Amino acid sequence: MDIRLSEEQEMLRNSARRFLEKNCPSSLVREMVEDEMGYTEELWQGMAELGWIGLIIPEEYGGVGMGFLELTVLMEEMGRVMLPGPFFSTAVLGGLAFLQAGSASQKKEYLPGIAGGQMKVTLALNEAESIYDPGSMAVSAVEEGEGFVLNGTKLFVPDAHVADTILCAARTDQGIEDGITLFVVDGKDPSIRTKLLKTIAGDKQFEVVFHEVRVPKENVLGQPGQGWPPIKTVLQKSAVLKCAEMIGGGQRILEMTAAYAKEREQFGRKIGAFQAIQHHCVNMLVDLEGCRWVAYKAAWMIHEGMPYEKQASIAKAWCNQAYRRVVALAHQVLGGVGYIEEHDLPLYFRRARAAEAAFGDADYHRKIVADQIFTHGAIDRIQQGNIQ
Amino acid sequence: MNFNLTTTPEEEAFRQEVSDFLEVELTDEIRRQHSLDKGLGPEAREFNRKIGAKGWLGLGWPEEYGGSGGSLRYEIILIQELARHEARIPNTVARYLAGPAILHFGSEEMKKEFLPRIAKGEIEFALGYTEPPAGSDLMAMQMRAVEEGDFFIINGTKIFNTGCHFSDYHWLAVKTDPAAHRLQQISLFVVDMDAPGIEIRPLWTLGGERTNEVYYDNVKVPKSRLVGEKNQGFLYMVHALNYERLAVYQIERFFPVINRLVNYAKETKRNGALLADDPMVRNKLAQLAVEAEVCKCIEYKALALLIDGSIPDYEAGIIKLIGSEFYQRLGYMSMEVLNHFGLLEEDSDWAPLMGEISRICRSSVPDTIGAGSSEIIRNVTAMRALGLPRK
Repeated sequence: MDIRLSEEQEMLRNSARRFLEKNCPSSLVREMVEDEMGYTEELWQGMAELGWIGLIIPEEYGGVGMGFLELTVLMEEMGRVMLPGPFFSTAVLGGLAFLQAGSASQKKEYLPGIAGGQMKVTLALNEAESIYDPGSMAVSAVEEGEGFVLNGTKLFVPDAHVADTILCAARTDQGIEDGITLFVVDGKDPSIRTKLLKTIAGDKQFEVVFHEVRVPKENVLGQPGQGWPPIKTVLQKSAVLKCAEMIGGGQRILEMTAAYAKEREQFGRKIGAFQAIQHHCVNMLVDLEGCRWVAYKAAWMIHEGMPYEKQASIAKAWCNQAYRRVVALAHQVLGGVGYIEEHDLPLYFRRARAAEAAFGDADYHRKIVADQIFTHGAIDRIQQGNIQ
Repeated sequence: MNFNLTTTPEEEAFRQEVSDFLEVELTDEIRRQHSLDKGLGPEAREFNRKIGAKGWLGLGWPEEYGGSGGSLRYEIILIQELARHEARIPNTVARYLAGPAILHFGSEEMKKEFLPRIAKGEIEFALGYTEPPAGSDLMAMQMRAVEEGDFFIINGTKIFNTGCHFSDYHWLAVKTDPAAHRLQQISLFVVDMDAPGIEIRPLWTLGGERTNEVYYDNVKVPKSRLVGEKNQGFLYMVHALNYERLAVYQIERFFPVINRLVNYAKETKRNGALLADDPMVRNKLAQLAVEAEVCKCIEYKALALLIDGSIPDYEAGIIKLIGSEFYQRLGYMSMEVLNHFGLLEEDSDWAPLMGEISRICRSSVPDTIGAGSSEIIRNVTAMRALGLPRK
């Protein structure tokens, strides 16, 4: 049992914290909500130069070749400062999808551009009547000539407006999990229309309409009709990384709240001396500790190549519930100042709502956990001895 | 970073050895005796001695006092494996409170008299701290020990002293100098539970466990039974908390219960459908699995700190806090899943899971109160972990 980060991971955390503290103040986060692009090229290139976008891309494709735990550490630091922009879409959704499903030549063609910061990517999954559910996906891809023609509307596609490449999940055959194919689509294709969805989080989520979009057959990512398994993997790993973001936010929120409790005076003493405030703060601490260790355990299992499906869903189900409480209790402690938009806490609140929905809400993940425990039993398998 | 319990082949071999031993020696009857806290019957006592004979109760203690050396890692593996099998460390008061305090502060004579027998699983201690005026506020205790020749004469009343009715010794905290500085008023004694002048009266808890009121009427305790120095008892009690952390709350214990609920759901129909096919039931059991795992991960953090040589300053309190609060939710949610059948006590017809759920509901109520109430733990954690002001 060892909860320590490796020296390399510690270094990454410290350098990420310093860089992001300096280059991503909350004023930038606010600016980017109003900004059409939602990110600055300067910051984007800065992160590319640090190797962050290609952090888990193997060196042979221009990446740094680090592992999932390192990305988790980085993601936590990004969550701490609410990093805006297409990092998650590109490095995580795009990067993981290509790594999971790409052929050798596709990896060679696309990964270097991702790692170098030249290519932004996103993943188009959800629709009006389909949320993370392959069986109900309706955007269609019909074979025609040497390729496919895509038609239909995707919703909640992050950063679609800046994506050079959109990975689109479309139905090629009728069926449940079979019948979905993942396509590499040129994001600048004129037959694609994107429209910004205004969300509570001010993040750049888009409606993307595909109208007779032609895609050559080489642009099938993975096997035709086999799109769902790699997408599922991307979703599970993304869920864990989204937990890391929430942990980063939660950590800063806890620090902010404890500091406020030690500073704010009412009735002749610091409010941190009142038990009600003390209990709120401890409940935040406890919730955050739970988030941290359950998510890092999932990240460790992914990093080590162990079966992680149940742990990933446990982590997301928990972080959703717990982070909600962390933010809400922070609001209670901070009182009036905490709900004025000028304060950072409302920014965290808004983004927390989006984080809950992303990659599966608690009900979605509890369904997965239920399937796991009803199939394999409820005993924690790691404790039955080392998992080989 | 590593969330495996065992990290070397030797540790894994030890874990397997404990597991194999438990598969053979741990019977359902012994498990029952452990969990009911009505006093260990002959089967559980025999089990104690067998574990003691393996040297497992003396892990980490010097061999000259009957210990078997060994590191903290092995002790943790033992505790976790016992919990996994739903067994308990026999007599945690002896092993984690009295034993370490005697080891660190007791006279040579005292060490030789008690430690080997604790390590062999031959003797049991009951905790003697709480009094009617002294629950969370232990310093408010009033039991008095007055020096007289070669003895201390002890008068007063203890309450919620669990295990007195079957233990050999009372691990007693008493005021020896009520006028002294706050932290130097208390002494610790090892008292024979059958000493003249001691009267024990049972109190039955909602959980079906027996605890006791204990009356001391001019009980003569030899000076040789004073632990360490007079008036230093409070410090010894605080020091003992470092070891108690190992015995705090074993989250591992929850998983077999959830597993039994899952199996129950797979076999039980209600209102035309298997419980296992009811999405509400699945959602509830999944939530229990989620929370148990979260508690487990926090526990692992504390254990990892211990193994690393750090003191888990506030983590041990948090484990007890979340473990006990989860245990209550486990009871309530299980009741929901079992519906009317959850009401049935062990000896009733139609009782599923041997009436376990009814018992968990009842016995989880004291858990958020004793051994550090949830409120006290939150108060203390606020100060220790977050530096919030006392006043």
